[in-house]
Amino acid sequence: MYQYSEKDKQIVKNRTKEFLFQVKRRINGDLTEEEFKPLRLMNGLYLQLHAYMLRVAIPYGELSYIQLKKLAEISEKYDKGYGHFTTRQNIQFNWPKLEDVPKILEELADVEMHAIQTSGNCIRNISCDHLAGINNEEVEDPRPWCEIIRKWSTFHPEFSFLPRKFKIAVIACDTDRAAMKVHDIGLKLVKKKNEVGFEVFVGGGQGRSPFIAKKINDFVKKKDLLNYLEAILSIYNEMGRRDNIYKARIKILINELGEKKLKSLVENKFKKFADKKLSLKENEIQEIKNYFKLPISGPIKSEIPLKKNKQYTNWLNQNVIEHKLSGYSIIMVSLKPYNQPPGDATANQMKTLSKIAQEFSYGEIRVTHEQNLVLPHVKNSDLFNVWNQLKSINLATPNIGLITDAICCPGMDYCALATARSIPISQKISRYFKNQSIQEKIGKIKIKISGCINACGHHHVGNIGILGLDRNGEESYQISLGGSADENTNVGQIVGPSFPEKELMKAITTIIKTFENNKKTKNENFLTVFNRIGIDPFKKDLYETSNSK
Amino acid sequence: MKQVILNKAEVYQNEYFILESIDKLPKSNSEKVIVTVKQWLENSTILKQKKYIGIKLNSDESINFVKKDINYFKIIQFNFLTFKDGRPFSEAKKLRVEFKFKNEIRASGHILPDQYIFLLRCGFNSVEIESAKKKYWLDCLKMDSGLYYQP
Repeated sequence: MYQYSEKDKQIVKNRTKEFLFQVKRRINGDLTEEEFKPLRLMNGLYLQLHAYMLRVAIPYGELSYIQLKKLAEISEKYDKGYGHFTTRQNIQFNWPKLEDVPKILEELADVEMHAIQTSGNCIRNISCDHLAGINNEEVEDPRPWCEIIRKWSTFHPEFSFLPRKFKIAVIACDTDRAAMKVHDIGLKLVKKKNEVGFEVFVGGGQGRSPFIAKKINDFVKKKDLLNYLEAILSIYNEMGRRDNIYKARIKILINELGEKKLKSLVENKFKKFADKKLSLKENEIQEIKNYFKLPISGPIKSEIPLKKNKQYTNWLNQNVIEHKLSGYSIIMVSLKPYNQPPGDATANQMKTLSKIAQEFSYGEIRVTHEQNLVLPHVKNSDLFNVWNQLKSINLATPNIGLITDAICCPGMDYCALATARSIPISQKISRYFKNQSIQEKIGKIKIKISGCINACGHHHVGNIGILGLDRNGEESYQISLGGSADENTNVGQIVGPSFPEKELMKAITTIIKTFENNKKTKNENFLTVFNRIGIDPFKKDLYETSNSK
Repeated sequence: MKQVILNKAEVYQNEYFILESIDKLPKSNSEKVIVTVKQWLENSTILKQKKYIGIKLNSDESINFVKKDINYFKIIQFNFLTFKDGRPFSEAKKLRVEFKFKNEIRASGHILPDQYIFLLRCGFNSVEIESAKKKYWLDCLKMDSGLYYQP
């Protein structure tokens, strides 16, 4: 994985110093709160409902065991002993004190981490496929490209005060595990005529107006990538709307201009970058690629221990994926244990997982946008041992991809923007569908829960999307169906009027019954059934045959 | 509040004045004048004869409005309506990279010392600031390590 150069270290150290200077000026009144806000946001520091929240960057979701251990220590020392992994593959701490933040940043810098650009109207953490480099399908490993983009976008002098936040994802195969098409820019590595380059998608996003990104270029050469991105961002910075925060994302610009017009503006701008200072040389690309060589050299002979243990077998079936090198497996570590807030990990869990990663996964851990963790390279023969250790810290729940593996934002339990709670909804789902065989019978399904229209819980692209609303002071939940964030990205359709909190579980179970009643085969999954039968049968069962309003 | 011009670390008085209305245009050619986009577009024939002429654009005005005339300007001043409006960063870069503009680009209005290095790196030469705040601006300049990820 990537290691900081001296330059990276110095840049992060300088940023910590600069932030300390800004905090001092805020305290002595030289900066107004309005002026301080974007500066602290650019350092990942939010003001939430009850306290400050610090969001720490995990570039493209990749962590070393040393970094995970440090996150655990920070959560113990400066917070309440836990952290929350987010859909941008970052982690956030919910209770830091303002005066401790510079110290936290210093400790993070010691392990090559920071909170730079995890918020604010700038280019945010670059997200990536959590199986990058270890699956058989990809054209090449997308992580070096994430790192190249991370560098280019960090403290970019031109793009630090954009109309709105800007999110970029990179994938390298047809299977999309990074929700690439709901990003401001989605990049897909493709091979054409023996050359690898990028398909470029622009204008995806969620929030109050969800859009799927549109392809504006079939093939951008590798050497031109940064110049092309710079052209898109320049056009966006010049032309993106600044009169209305809800219309400021590039998704609105591309829809107002039309994709042809945007494409031609971008291409013209790209041609004008006569100096092409950002053109990438092969040796520079190779230098970054060298950091991402797998820590294992090739396939080995290693068998998966088979045990007469149902829990272990369930876990093998549900949470363990084949590595591209035989003899190794990829373990999906579910952060959705029974009745727990999705994405949360305690200090003890993080510390133990750090040790497990050090011993069994070459020190690497990854974070998925679905708020789970990954141990990317585990020898098959170690699986039973690792399972036992994960189980001891409640991280072996065999529910990856099942109904209790929901994405969920912090909602009104933490967030100042929320209109309803979302964590208790995911906990209700977790309790109701606790039984493993029921979950397996339902099969692959993605529930995504947001506590407000800003859609941090990705509800628009959930097979079942749940949006928390405030209806005259009461929590009420709107349900959408058929959304998807994979290679067939789709925005869900709202099923009808929202449900009061006390009726929501009944609605969800009705939806599951409708699905089960319409399955043609045992293994048909929710989305396939929905795409075949449409929304009407669900509407009928929800609103005509029940007492729900 | 007293304003001064900061050019890198050098502090000096503003030699240009903003023209209130076109009938106050000085006859002398040695006076340094900055006009608005509207004044320029309405009076460009007379203004083009001035030796030291500059133009002031608010952050919501694009340089494209006066694109064909940029070589007449000794100075182009972008006035930030709010520091959050980042358009002038792209405008300045466009002037330098695409239009090959060689003269002075200045920032004024609501800008923060924390933006100083970004401004310089996008092609601005100078900023108009409150004299009393110059220490913060110089501190920000001193904190700059010169280490960047972009060329």
